Amino acid sequence: MARAGKVPAMSQTVPVTELLEIAEYITKLKKGISALRAQELTRDRIPMAHDELGSVVAATASATNRIMESAESMLSIEARTLDEYRTKVEAHIGDIFEACTFQDITGQRISKVVEALGQLEKRLSQFSTVVNVRDGEVEYDPEEARRKARAESLMLNGPQLKGPETPQDAIDALFS
Amino acid sequence: MALDLGMPILVVDDYQTMVRIIRNLLKQLGFEDVDDASDGTGALAKLKQKKYGLVISDWNMEPMTGYELLRHVRADDALRTTPFIMVTAESKTENVIAAKKAGVNNYIVKPFNAQTLKTKIEAVCGA
Repeated sequence: MARAGKVPAMSQTVPVTELLEIAEYITKLKKGISALRAQELTRDRIPMAHDELGSVVAATASATNRIMESAESMLSIEARTLDEYRTKVEAHIGDIFEACTFQDITGQRISKVVEALGQLEKRLSQFSTVVNVRDGEVEYDPEEARRKARAESLMLNGPQLKGPETPQDAIDALFS
Repeated sequence: MALDLGMPILVVDDYQTMVRIIRNLLKQLGFEDVDDASDGTGALAKLKQKKYGLVISDWNMEPMTGYELLRHVRADDALRTTPFIMVTAESKTENVIAAKKAGVNNYIVKPFNAQTLKTKIEAVCGA
């Protein structure tokens, strides 16, 4: 008869050292989870990052619209004299300068998001060290899997970090 | 051959600011009949209603991308000869080659300037 299904007798003892190791690991795990401060992340930092990035998108869109409006107005300026033309152009240039001040504020907002991401990265890194577990198989949710498959099949790579991967000159050579 | 400034142009981009920029550049070049759509599906509907002399399309849009739009246009007997310029931030060589194989007439990488757009329109539509 095979021995695989044999249950250890109740009297069989587990070495105390093994139990101590498990207890120590659980204590470390609890400390690691506590240091993650997951509730603070989900309650404060991640919503803050979401809000700040939303504000950045809104501010850049608003500034772009103001700059576009000024540029379009300059294109259709009607003036009888050069001085009148110059005055009107300068007024629009003033509007453009004013609209460009968005960069200072959005820069500060983005810095806050970068800091939050840095905190998140640090805590996850510490947690990973404490629990000493390697990454497991990733299970994509269906929506993420669909997005990934679509991006791959339709070559949706997005803008490259350091500018165009293929310069316009090289593209022009392909079409000449 | 001079450019036909009266030809209708369809601009396809989901980013309204980009549509506005291209519209202004086209206006500066003398084109007045410019329509727009925010993705390939909307563009196809417009292409079936009106004869356009040129399509200027972004690549990355939802639900239908510019690449899918290009393939639909080239597969449609009534539309297959419509000049098509891709204007996109997708700058990987695989994108450019795929678009060329699918029949794009020219390809502009964002950001671009008025001169680049003008040169490409002239190359595709005459001049």
